[in-house]
Amino acid sequence: MLLAYLLVGATLFVLGLVGFVTRRNLIIMFLCTELMFQGIVINLVALGRYPLEGHSANLDGQVFALFLLAIAAAEAALGLALVVLLYRYKGTLDADALKLLKED
Amino acid sequence: MPSTPALLLILASAFGAAGLYLALAGRQRSLAWTALVLLAAAGGALIALLAPHLAGGATRGWFIVLSLLGALGGLRMITHPRPVYSALYFILVVVAVTGLLVLMQAEFLAAALLIIYAGAILVTYVFVIMLAQQADPAPYDRHAREPFLGCVAGFILLAVIAFRMFAGASDLPAADPLTGTTLGLGTRLLTNYVIALQVAGVLLLAALVGAIAIARRKAENVAEGESD
Repeated sequence: MLLAYLLVGATLFVLGLVGFVTRRNLIIMFLCTELMFQGIVINLVALGRYPLEGHSANLDGQVFALFLLAIAAAEAALGLALVVLLYRYKGTLDADALKLLKED
Repeated sequence: MPSTPALLLILASAFGAAGLYLALAGRQRSLAWTALVLLAAAGGALIALLAPHLAGGATRGWFIVLSLLGALGGLRMITHPRPVYSALYFILVVVAVTGLLVLMQAEFLAAALLIIYAGAILVTYVFVIMLAQQADPAPYDRHAREPFLGCVAGFILLAVIAFRMFAGASDLPAADPLTGTTLGLGTRLLTNYVIALQVAGVLLLAALVGAIAIARRKAENVAEGESD
């Protein structure tokens, strides 16, 4: 059963990764990082529930997942504040439009 | 590792990559059914591959339904041209993940995930999306950036992860029963992880102050009454 959960977690992570690479909308790129977090939550809880050889099931994975929720909330607040700031500044959400550091 | 699972794994990854490539934004709509068939084939191959590893009983059915729901929601989320629908499909993913957590007897975490993600974080996303919403899908939403390279890289990563996992999955031990997860979780948070808990509180406070600082600096530059 561990294998099945890990595969679902990996699938969600890879979908988030592909979305992060291919989408050009800044908000959707941030949303894709949240999708990757979902895959990681499944992995953490599954590894706590179905432990590897020589360990017993414990709650450390769930504690890690709880901390991950706190990090995700902080990331969403700060990231979205920056996205709104950039939208006001540039008038677009296109990630390719942000070339402030590039020399012309 | 016998060759049949490896072949199935490679087939599933290839079908998944091809289907995702066809489904990504910027393709013709007539290809949508082809993409769906390819992705269904990939999902079927993965389930056939996992069948010997699944527990029996009602858990198996719920697991298959919830994992397919999560994968489908994630897929639509990264392929839908309208950001609002992407956010709504992400709520579907969160609900599916919540179900999977309940299957793993992580009830408290499932409730926390649903409340925090679907209730708080996604509302923030939807607010921001509506703040920047246009009438038609913007050009940067209609055309994906490097869809071919993205799909190939992602599914090579997935195939390698899955290949290594199946190679080492000969006999994993069964799960011990976990009892009283909410009580145990609270005890563990306030004993073993109490310093990390305090640090998480400080981090959230710093994020709060930072978000307000960013928003305030922006409010000075725009007209009155537009602060948020």
